[in-house]
Amino acid sequence: MFEDELISRTSMQSDTQQIALGLRQGDLAVLEALVEQYQYRLVRYLIYLLGRRDGVDDLVQETWLRVLERGSSYDGHSRFEPWLFRVARNIALDAMRKRQNLSLDSDDDDGRLPPSPASMEPSPFTLASRTEDADRLAHSLQTLDPVHREALVLRFQEDLSLQEISAIVGAPVSTVASRIYRGLATLRPQFEGETA
Amino acid sequence: MNIDHESFQHMIDESLAGGISAEREKSLRDHLHTCAPCQEYLSASNKVIAGLGGFSFEVDSTLNDRVFAALRLRAQQVQAAQPRRRQWVLISLAAVVLTMGGSFVDLRFGDLIASVFDIQRTQLQHGLLAFWIVPSLCVLLLFPLLPLLSKAGTRRQGRIL
Repeated sequence: MFEDELISRTSMQSDTQQIALGLRQGDLAVLEALVEQYQYRLVRYLIYLLGRRDGVDDLVQETWLRVLERGSSYDGHSRFEPWLFRVARNIALDAMRKRQNLSLDSDDDDGRLPPSPASMEPSPFTLASRTEDADRLAHSLQTLDPVHREALVLRFQEDLSLQEISAIVGAPVSTVASRIYRGLATLRPQFEGETA
Repeated sequence: MNIDHESFQHMIDESLAGGISAEREKSLRDHLHTCAPCQEYLSASNKVIAGLGGFSFEVDSTLNDRVFAALRLRAQQVQAAQPRRRQWVLISLAAVVLTMGGSFVDLRFGDLIASVFDIQRTQLQHGLLAFWIVPSLCVLLLFPLLPLLSKAGTRRQGRIL
């Protein structure tokens, strides 16, 4: 068991080191493989972060260009996903600041996001729901505070640890944990009162 | 709500968010065997988590190609800028050597050269200043600015593209 974990960790480290080396050298083949591997997850993360679908493709493209330009800052000592999501988050926040001229720095809670814009169009969650349970969550997800939504996707879809999420969002681990609790608390009533 | 339920339900949240110690996990499991409200709380939480996995977002099939094209273009721009940067570094180094060389020649061999060519020392100094030291100093000061100007130009070009 311990040996399996050690082998898996060593293999992961070797993968991340290869990614880091490829990014340092600006190797396009490595970058294209990363695009193939992470594109869907990046799109999903940005949709959860922003609560909308439009504009996400531009942010995705901008994110990969930033990865090409600043790839040397990824050291390969930790997983690639948190680093990628942090890059994407910074770009999304910059874009929001430009669009809405919001001053996020003045907020008490670091890295807080503005609420998702109200729209007459169906929410991206309604359009993307493929199960009955997802259908029931779609509306509540759209109205959920973006930082809570972000914490939920990073924890339960990306399977990141609280420490990794904390590094992405730039908030303490305790804040991340409480965002997850609050997110769950908001969505849980959809399923309460049912027998397991 | 019973305080006992509250603390166990908080423990469920903690367990789902990031794991809890084996000891607390055991106490939670023991409690869940006998507590219907906490079982329901856990079940509803698990359904939320399962529900989050029930979304499938559509990705534009051309997105990857567009990203690849943008990456190749940016990589070409970066590569094109690299030899020029190396050139500027070499020219700047040459300018440093020339500036220092001119000053060294003046200090060390000024008197000797003046006597050989039968001119005054000040005339020699003016000549060296005008035709050697000042031009190489200008090159030295000007060239470090050129990469910055060129970078701004490349960015403007990228925006137009």
